[in-house]
Amino acid sequence: MKHCDDIREFLGAWLDGELDPSEAEAVRLHVADCPACAEERRQLEKLQVAMKSVFSTEGERIAFEPFWHGVRSRIERNRPWHAELIEWLRSALEAPRLVWAVPAMIVVLIVALSLNSIWPSLKWWGQRNNYVAVESIDAHGRNVALLREDDTKTTVIWLYQNPEGENDTSEEPAQSGPTF
Amino acid sequence: MEPSDLELVQRCQSGDMTAFEELVSRYHQKVYLVIVGLLRNRDDALEVAQETFLRAYRKIGSFQGGSSFYTWLYRIAVNIAIDSRRRQKRSPLDFRESMDGVLEEQDEVAKDPFADVHDKELREKLIAAINDLTPEHKAVIVLRTIEGLSYKDIGEILGCSEGTVMSRLHYARKKLQDKLRAFL
Repeated sequence: MKHCDDIREFLGAWLDGELDPSEAEAVRLHVADCPACAEERRQLEKLQVAMKSVFSTEGERIAFEPFWHGVRSRIERNRPWHAELIEWLRSALEAPRLVWAVPAMIVVLIVALSLNSIWPSLKWWGQRNNYVAVESIDAHGRNVALLREDDTKTTVIWLYQNPEGENDTSEEPAQSGPTF
Repeated sequence: MEPSDLELVQRCQSGDMTAFEELVSRYHQKVYLVIVGLLRNRDDALEVAQETFLRAYRKIGSFQGGSSFYTWLYRIAVNIAIDSRRRQKRSPLDFRESMDGVLEEQDEVAKDPFADVHDKELREKLIAAINDLTPEHKAVIVLRTIEGLSYKDIGEILGCSEGTVMSRLHYARKKLQDKLRAFL
């Protein structure tokens, strides 16, 4: 600590008695030999005195009894449950590590809702499955209707097509729809 | 022999209201002064001081004694005061007016309340300069100047290191000094 700028950075702490003995001695020696830093010290001391004067203007002004009465009435006043909840949430969210959590959760929620509204068919992980139930088989075993558990549509699979097409003479015409 | 703060706290935790009353009696003035220093408004300060003790009462069950009671109490007070200050966002003019009221009353009860600050202009400039400080800078100035707390205690109250306290104090004083250099 030889330069004036370095010394001045520690002047306040030195005046507060918060420096190690070796640091304090270094500052003291420098200030004793440096008129500019000595002037800084004088200004800081005057500033300190001025601040004490300003801050002490309130002095011994508040009486205990009315103050205690006010505190006690606050304690005894029943607070509604939602005020308690708000206070708890505020104290929980005021923790520095949780400061990012609220905006992050809001962003995630907005993105999720936006995706769902843009692509209603978009499914979340784990929502889609491959379970299929056979809903019905027509009387001739030609058509099978499959119903996906997570879908409202019914899929019809034609298991058999008459090679004779329109000339089919069976009781169930090929062009007629499946009966279920 | 007077009970220690910790003994009173333990009695409070057992539901002894008179012990809490004793704690309020010990610290209400100091807490009030610190809050006035931060808010520069007596009515708001009184409100915040009472709210501080209400919160302390509600949370006293969780006080473990890891830090001293007064640093724990000041931490509550400073947090509420800074929060209140941010919510109100009063203009610097409001602060100056409210503080002028304080100063005028002080003039009535003492001949020379600013014996150490002779220059009225310096006083006004100082109040304005203090009001312009950030809440963090104002808090270190108030806790150090009014209470004379150590950097360690201030760090505990504000939740920062001693080095940060030293740095904040340095920059806060430098800002004040730069604005008031002509009067110092």
